[in-house]
Amino acid sequence: MKILGILALFALVGTAGYGQALDLKGLEKLAAKARDVTDVELDGSLLRLAAKFLSADDPDQAKVKKLVAELKGVYVKTYEFEHEGEYSESDLASIRTQLHSPAWSRIVGIQSKKERDNTEIYLRTGGTEPGGLAIVCTNPKELVVVNIVGKIDLEELSELHDLGVPKIDIEKKPAKPADKKDND
Amino acid sequence: MASSVGGLAVRVQEEPQRAVQVELPAFADIVREHQGMVFSLAWHYLHDRALAEEISQDVFLELYRHLASIQSPAHLVFWLRKVASRKCIDQTRRRAFWPKFGLDDIPEPPAKTRPGDPMLSRALAKLVASLPEKARMLVILRYQEDLDPSDIARVLDMPVGTVKSQLQRSLEVLRDKLARTVGEIAL
Amino acid sequence: MSNLEDDLRIALRREEPAADFTERVLARLNQPFAEPTWRERLAVLMRPPRLQWAALAVIVSITIPAATVRYRNEVQYRAEGERAKAQLLFAVRVAGSKLHRAQRKVLETGRTGTRL
Repeated sequence: MKILGILALFALVGTAGYGQALDLKGLEKLAAKARDVTDVELDGSLLRLAAKFLSADDPDQAKVKKLVAELKGVYVKTYEFEHEGEYSESDLASIRTQLHSPAWSRIVGIQSKKERDNTEIYLRTGGTEPGGLAIVCTNPKELVVVNIVGKIDLEELSELHDLGVPKIDIEKKPAKPADKKDND
Repeated sequence: MASSVGGLAVRVQEEPQRAVQVELPAFADIVREHQGMVFSLAWHYLHDRALAEEISQDVFLELYRHLASIQSPAHLVFWLRKVASRKCIDQTRRRAFWPKFGLDDIPEPPAKTRPGDPMLSRALAKLVASLPEKARMLVILRYQEDLDPSDIARVLDMPVGTVKSQLQRSLEVLRDKLARTVGEIAL
Repeated sequence: MSNLEDDLRIALRREEPAADFTERVLARLNQPFAEPTWRERLAVLMRPPRLQWAALAVIVSITIPAATVRYRNEVQYRAEGERAKAQLLFAVRVAGSKLHRAQRKVLETGRTGTRL
């Protein structure tokens, strides 16, 4: 039942109501230590500009255009480190404090001991309607923080996980029990 | 410090809305200034007004996507001619829009016309539109755009010698067909 | 020049598309249409190539800087838009992949009965 509740929340997508963006400045010091950094900051005006350049002829881009129609901001920070231990939980303290406020609800927390990674998904539930999404993914050599402000369809967003990846048709064969793997 | 995945570590901090307000009139001006050239290329080639407008719009949309590659006004004109020609030729190849005729097999207009008569222009335009693809575009670029053979060769990516010989041959065929239609035409 | 070539020039003279052609192009770009402000100056710049070379040189020397600025601005706008689009697509892919992975984990956990 708990699982169904969580999945239902995925389907309940964002309705009206816009939360404020997370303050991610506390992560900036990690850029100096990271081997690879990606920093995306798209506020409302940049989102509108980006949307204008999306191609209506490309099915994936058309989906993205629809997805971002009512967003106020998209912020993504990814840090890849050469060695383990180059960042710690204390670097995330500021973000966790914000996400532990009453405005946010953690809807999913997944910890994989095998892969040593941790994924948390939060919805901003200010008032009676959610208005934002936050994702924090950590593993020993990588940190990813995503903050989306505005009305977002989580199911549609999840379907775009392979955006830009060429789709290959593979003839599916019935999987034997021994072939089942954790495909990460 | 910040190497990036796919070159995305750049923060765009400029205010883009102001850029939009300043630049739209510029692109609209470009469209207005060159729409006649682009549309006419497509219209004379395809002889289908709706399709010619559609192709013309596609040309300008493609221009918008490639503005960064345009180096000068002269380059813009060259680019538009090149892309319009390519799209027109591709269109006929895709849809077999117009029956393909050999240079010796062009149907005659049904009625005789006098030299200088507007009907002559229409008949002549139709004859041009029934030429084989490359020959058709050669004639249009020569007589609509007044390009010399070397410029036509650059636009269509053909050898200059081929351009000259095909132009010559096309004129002979057009002259022959028109002569039968309108009587003797001063050559 | 033969009469046929003259006739061809007449028959193949340029024609304008429908009056709202530009508006329709801009609409496809999803942009609002703005009234022109520099049309006559641009019309002078873009005249067909029948000017005398001296006159052309004078016009080019006056108008090319303005045209160059215009093209550079267009280039800059285009570059900014493409950059923003690339960032957006990347962000959507990252967020989508994390969500998708979480969804699968949740489903797998539901099948195996393991608590989150």
